[in-house]
Amino acid sequence: MTGAIDTDALLELVWAAPLAVLAVTVSWGMVVVGATRASEARREDRSTAAALNVLVAVAGGLLFAAAVVFGLLVLTAKP
Amino acid sequence: MDSDIILVIVVATALAFDFTNGFHDTANAVATSISTRALAPKTAVTLAAILNFVGAFISLKIAATVASGIVDADLVTTTVIFAGLIGAIFWNLLTWYFGLPSSSSHALIGGVVGAAFAAGGAQAVLTGGLIEKVIVPALVAPVIAFLAAAGAILITYRMVGRLRPGPVNRGYRLGQIASASLLSLSHGTNDAQKTMGIITLALVANGTLSGPNSDPPTWVVISAATAIALGTYTGGWRIIRTMGSRIIDMDPAQGFAAQTGGSAVLLTASHLGFPLSTTHSITGAVLGAGAAKRLSAVRWGLAGNILLAWILTLPAAAAVGGLTYGVSRLFGSSALGPLLISISLLALMAIVFGKRLRRGPALTTSPADA
Repeated sequence: MTGAIDTDALLELVWAAPLAVLAVTVSWGMVVVGATRASEARREDRSTAAALNVLVAVAGGLLFAAAVVFGLLVLTAKP
Repeated sequence: MDSDIILVIVVATALAFDFTNGFHDTANAVATSISTRALAPKTAVTLAAILNFVGAFISLKIAATVASGIVDADLVTTTVIFAGLIGAIFWNLLTWYFGLPSSSSHALIGGVVGAAFAAGGAQAVLTGGLIEKVIVPALVAPVIAFLAAAGAILITYRMVGRLRPGPVNRGYRLGQIASASLLSLSHGTNDAQKTMGIITLALVANGTLSGPNSDPPTWVVISAATAIALGTYTGGWRIIRTMGSRIIDMDPAQGFAAQTGGSAVLLTASHLGFPLSTTHSITGAVLGAGAAKRLSAVRWGLAGNILLAWILTLPAAAAVGGLTYGVSRLFGSSALGPLLISISLLALMAIVFGKRLRRGPALTTSPADA
């Protein structure tokens, strides 16, 4: 038995991977919820609500884009 | 002269493995996008093929090859590599024929382990490395991906549950294009490198390249990238059907949860230097996205068959790898053994596929064309 299981990396994976999934899920959820509600608010002439929901969608989009860029960086800087 | 012929056969076999790796694993990246209609089948495999090709050039850190730390490096000859590749190709084709997703990397490791065992006995196999690089990741990947995707779909339904389904579905279909692209890129980076590593290893074993840490020649990089892209473009539609619609009937939100769950687990693991199987991660995530909605939504019988295929991957590929090595050695160190085995394998494939194609288009056509 010469190999040793990297338990530190394994434990980090156990919490870091679900955290990454949570971040991506919530950020894209913000995009979908924001865009859908903004569209509904515009149809009902509620311009303030529409603007706020657009902001939610944009914030979610930026977070999602950051997650994708981080993923690309991980790919290019593999150990 | 014979060693050069064997080297040519090994390179051709490695590229054939790379091709099967591409079309076997297309499903990982595009199956959920196709089943939720985020992408048309041909568009999905074309996008995946292009990104697999690009991904192959992203990182070339292949000094450590796929079997390093798993078998005794002193026993790795071109014949051992050839036999290992035959074992992996055999398992990839068999599981593809039955539409079962399984790890191409584990098949390759299994093939090389079997060939090394046949060459040098039990001491040729480093059990610790096998546990660390194969057994533990095989247990960890599907479990974490299952839980992550299950959590993702529960959060998603909580966030969008009261909204009109039309725009929500369109939104998640759009998100799936991004996650499928990232996954394809990741697959090209990881898996094309394995073939580059295997060919480089063969070139070193043959004395064509000087040292064990040699960089792969440009022709190796380009040919490996091309083979995996062509394989991906060909599309393993049977596994795509299994992953996309036979395990669960998924909606776009579930497809997005499965893809982001699987890819986030893979990329996090890659970041931590803990290699996981793409197939195991994505399959676990698909099961998680289905089970979290409703346990009975998952076809557990099929999931059991997939699990059985995962358990059998290593021993089955090893058995074929060992057998191939044994038959090759019957011809001594001449190129006749590998040559006869390659011709026999090609003939067998032609017969099997010819017979199957006559029975209908199910093997080779996309869902759109079938």
